[in-house]
Amino acid sequence: MKTLKICLDVNGERHELLVAPNRSLTQVLREDLGLTGAKHGCDEGECGACTVLFDGEPVNSCLVLAAQAEGHEITTIEGIADGSALHPLQQAFVDHGAVQCGFCTPGMVLSAKALLDRKKRPSEHEIRTALSGNLCRCTGYQKIVDAVRAGGRNSAGSGR
Amino acid sequence: MLLPKFDFHRPTSIAETCEMLTEYGESASMVAGGTDVLVDLRRKRIAPARLIGIDRVNEMDGIRAGRGEVVVGSLVTAAGIADNRMLRRRFSVLTQAAEELGSPPIRNRATIGGNLVTARPAGDLLPPLMVLDARVRLVSQGGEREIPVDRFITGPGKTKIRTNEVLTQVVMPRPDPASGGAYIKFGARSSCEISIVSVAVFVSFTPAGRRIKSAKIVLGAVAPKPIGCPRAEELLVGAAPGEKAFAAAGSAAARAARPISDHRGSARYRRQMVEVLTRRALGSACRSAREGLSGRTK
Repeated sequence: MKTLKICLDVNGERHELLVAPNRSLTQVLREDLGLTGAKHGCDEGECGACTVLFDGEPVNSCLVLAAQAEGHEITTIEGIADGSALHPLQQAFVDHGAVQCGFCTPGMVLSAKALLDRKKRPSEHEIRTALSGNLCRCTGYQKIVDAVRAGGRNSAGSGR
Repeated sequence: MLLPKFDFHRPTSIAETCEMLTEYGESASMVAGGTDVLVDLRRKRIAPARLIGIDRVNEMDGIRAGRGEVVVGSLVTAAGIADNRMLRRRFSVLTQAAEELGSPPIRNRATIGGNLVTARPAGDLLPPLMVLDARVRLVSQGGEREIPVDRFITGPGKTKIRTNEVLTQVVMPRPDPASGGAYIKFGARSSCEISIVSVAVFVSFTPAGRRIKSAKIVLGAVAPKPIGCPRAEELLVGAAPGEKAFAAAGSAAARAARPISDHRGSARYRRQMVEVLTRRALGSACRSAREGLSGRTK
């Protein structure tokens, strides 16, 4: 199996990596770049715990070969805070009790961020649809939905 | 879970892809969005020595309106289809299916070409492509050919594609302005779901709009591949659109279905749902066609 030399753009930083072709983006983010926010959940694109933004759009990183991510902009949960200041959406999750075990949270926040970047004031139906690829076993989803709605309001005008 | 070992090739043109397909033959599989292929690899359903990543072949991307037809590149994602204004206006049966496929992160990667070549009995884009009389374009070093989707798919997971061919584009004839379609996906939940039953319909009206001129109905998940309902379609031709015609078509469609009983639903339940959903889809399609007739933008 021939190793590939790839260049990944992750959270605005370029990384030159030597990877085996059979490594998923989830594996390379976690193991080679130490970005452990994206989780191994189901590893088959059903739970969303591995969600990252791929050119601004949520994807299941478990279904992307690391090599396929070359030439695209990858954003992980580690990339949305501003230094130590939480992104307004992250703050909304904290304020609304939308985080329990936290395993689904990076994926939820990124899927929600992609929605809010497109539409500042989505309806409840639009929020639930946007999150329909992210499973949560703890919260029952309501507080997550409330946090996303609040996150949209808080972000309005902040340009983030 | 680890992926099995394979070598990875990254062509950037259709010609390069065809060269690789010819050279590597059966030892290679293609991968685009990866939403089916990576699952199959992890579950050991396929074990190719090589993967050919076709996601950089820009010639196979994009949506183009031509004279009398629209050409959708095989790499266009379900999200790309669902969000396209022109497709939403004139090919809404396809965009409705694209919106329901998988989940948002899946839709951002799953491609129309992939949905076609994996040819699952419940593949969401397949019934709409069939009611729209779509064709697939297949290219190899030996040349090009086009096959209508309903003949391209031959069974569950089986198509007429040859080892040295790549599916480059999907071609759809422009529909009549006085026409409309609808897709209903029915499952136990509203996301990440394989259908219990799915129905795609497409109807066109006579110029005055009082009679149905032609109708196509294709059912998904109730046979080894998506199936048409010729008897139901016949009943609709020349009929006045309305509950009476839709009910008759619904019953005929239920008789055309060949469902199995499995953990998602019994055969009996599936037939009942075919009848109900065909009626509803016809109502929806006719409303859509009326908007086209009156010239209202959708």
